[in-house]
Amino acid sequence: MGLVDKGRLPKPLTTLFNMGRSYSLWVYQWGLACCAIEMGAAFGSPRYDVMRLGVIPLPASPRQADLVVISGTVTDKMAPSIKRLYEQMPEPKYVISMGSCANCGGPYWDSYSVTKGIDQIIPVDVYVPGCPPRPEALLEGVVLLQQRIKNEDMGARWRGEGTKAIVREPIVVGGGPVE
Amino acid sequence: MTDLADRQKLSYIAAQAADARLNVELETEGMTLNIGPQHPATHGTLRIIVRLDGEQVVWAEPSAGYMHRGYEKLTEVRTFPQVTALVNRIDWLGSFANEVPFILAAEQLMDIEAPPRAQWIRTILFELSRIANVSLFLGDLGVQLGAVTPVFMAFRDREYVLNLIESATGGRFHPNFDRIGGLKDDLPAGWIAETKQVMKKLRNFCDEIENLLFGNEIFQSRLRGIGVIPADVAKQYGLSGANLRASGVDWDLRRDQKLPLAYDKVDWKVWTHPDGDSFARCWIRLQETREATHIVDQLLDGIPSGPIMAKVPRIIKVPEGEAWVSTENPLGEMGYYVVSKGDLGPFRVKIRSASFNNISIVPWVLRGVYVPDVISILASLYFILGDIDR
Amino acid sequence: MSDDSAVAELPGDALREGVVQALRDALGDALLDSVVVPQRDVWVRVRTDAWRQAGIVLRDTVGCDYFCFLSAIDWLPSPFGRGEDDPTAPAPERDTEIRQGVTGGDTRMQVFARVTNIAKHFGVTIKADVPDDEPVVDSWLPVYAGANWHERETHEMFGIGFAGHPDLRNMYRPTDFEGHPLRKDFPLLARLVKPWPGIVDVEPLPGDDSEDES
Repeated sequence: MGLVDKGRLPKPLTTLFNMGRSYSLWVYQWGLACCAIEMGAAFGSPRYDVMRLGVIPLPASPRQADLVVISGTVTDKMAPSIKRLYEQMPEPKYVISMGSCANCGGPYWDSYSVTKGIDQIIPVDVYVPGCPPRPEALLEGVVLLQQRIKNEDMGARWRGEGTKAIVREPIVVGGGPVE
Repeated sequence: MTDLADRQKLSYIAAQAADARLNVELETEGMTLNIGPQHPATHGTLRIIVRLDGEQVVWAEPSAGYMHRGYEKLTEVRTFPQVTALVNRIDWLGSFANEVPFILAAEQLMDIEAPPRAQWIRTILFELSRIANVSLFLGDLGVQLGAVTPVFMAFRDREYVLNLIESATGGRFHPNFDRIGGLKDDLPAGWIAETKQVMKKLRNFCDEIENLLFGNEIFQSRLRGIGVIPADVAKQYGLSGANLRASGVDWDLRRDQKLPLAYDKVDWKVWTHPDGDSFARCWIRLQETREATHIVDQLLDGIPSGPIMAKVPRIIKVPEGEAWVSTENPLGEMGYYVVSKGDLGPFRVKIRSASFNNISIVPWVLRGVYVPDVISILASLYFILGDIDR
Repeated sequence: MSDDSAVAELPGDALREGVVQALRDALGDALLDSVVVPQRDVWVRVRTDAWRQAGIVLRDTVGCDYFCFLSAIDWLPSPFGRGEDDPTAPAPERDTEIRQGVTGGDTRMQVFARVTNIAKHFGVTIKADVPDDEPVVDSWLPVYAGANWHERETHEMFGIGFAGHPDLRNMYRPTDFEGHPLRKDFPLLARLVKPWPGIVDVEPLPGDDSEDES
């Protein structure tokens, strides 16, 4: 993969790679609270059937995952584990923050033990608002993320222009910018 | 009763003997195993530290608090209607059931009672949330023991119940439908017929699970005689719900206390099991799910007409006083000790959640068991993390 | 329902008065106060030094073998109200008088517990004062094994010690957390730095009677 390392990738190859990446997202389910059930419904139930979107919800460990869905309330006691989990994932990695608690603290905005938003700890690509969001909302978040991955400049990410390339306007399901 | 006591005693003695053998039979080097804080089959984060001697657990300590959100403090800075929205999220699988005891406590302090129609609809929704809760347990049970199919069945049939709750309350998960003095809204048209259909499907689901799991030889040998909790220990630790009834204690708050709910208007049965082991706990839950569908069916036939809201002031101020109301929630006894000072919000709310007591027995029950049984015992005790940590 | 008769026949008053009487017989003047609401509930308050003894009496004499919960109440009115003040405005005057609830009391904090008699279907709420200068009461661990976690929780949330409890570690909070969150003088900082946006005056709807006065 020397071409990729140098960041010089022919356009058709980038398209091919991106398509491959976007339709084989291995998603690690980090279920913390109520939203975990809706995530389970979206990823594990026959009605919503996430695998038709090319998402594989069953990696055994975060080290095999491309995408993590943080769903539910993150407490200050839990936050270090979240950080460690994120650091274990291989690049390129994506984060979906599901539910109001993970987005901003939600109904526990004034609590003494809840982290008000996981974006204080790790960068977030997609916010799915709701308390809890319906499974369809999470699926839309996945689809929007796939669109973004398809348009991504892989070379830039590999060259380590990471900070610029990664920190972008996050997607908000049901509003906000969509590429 | 003697039969029950003897069986319990025998299995208890067997467990004690295993305990005693532990250090005599085989000297092995101890090992500390960390389970959690995250496990793919759970929805929440409980960490359990077990010290092993060979394959047996010598010491186990659950480390809770990864989901502590500070409910009791937050209730002190919210008004009574706002607290209702908050407490939905304690036991997130049976959300509506969390609202009811709090609302009843507030109503008790204000000395009002919801009109009969509201009481019946409350009871129906209460039982629906029990079904939504326990059906997921029945599916999840399979996953924890290595069978993946039941969880798909559970998610499939649970959707029907969630659709019912959504069409009645507007919320799939957290309805926030209960109001002090009644309910937010009446039932939508066609809901009763639809619910009856769904109850049939759910009974079908119970039969499927019973055939698939409970008749399965592997399932039985993984659960029978494992994690026995004698009745007196269960009561000492304050176990409630199916965990208590599986130890042969005939105690169900739906039947055994007077509350303005419609349970005494229908014919139903409290299930108990004499064994007190993991299998009994799971079996009781299965029977209760089926019983709940029958309760709902009967209640649907007899909903009285009338208003759904009593006359309450627009701004709710609850008079000074203290009230304790607990109900038989899907997980067990859930109660609120509400202290009011005549203000807009409560002065102090002590939330007694079922899982907190149910899981506090873990250090006791895990002593001497084998490693694979740790997961099956925890699964059969059935906890929800939000309900432990609040 | 067939089983309902057992509830209906309960001699509620006599039953709950009997609880108070049993405690009075066993504890004498250590039983400070009692309130019985017929057919509903019973509260008792005992002296701090009789806290464990009262638990034993409840378990053995009254037959309350089911442990429900144990916790505490801080009766100090919150110096922060509900945290809805404008942070820029001067702090409003607040009532600082400590008024204990049912069964009274002499101290700022009280422990309270509830135990249930499963055979006869009633519960008892029992309270005891916690001394202000040295907030320690006896542990209920020898009486009810289930009190273990409840006392740990109470210790963490209120800073009340339980003499005889072997292991009062924190349950909930990370180790570097300071303070006791359920004490009323523990502020919720998020509320203090940002005015609460949710306060709206409820406007009467058209055609609505003026029910707000009540």
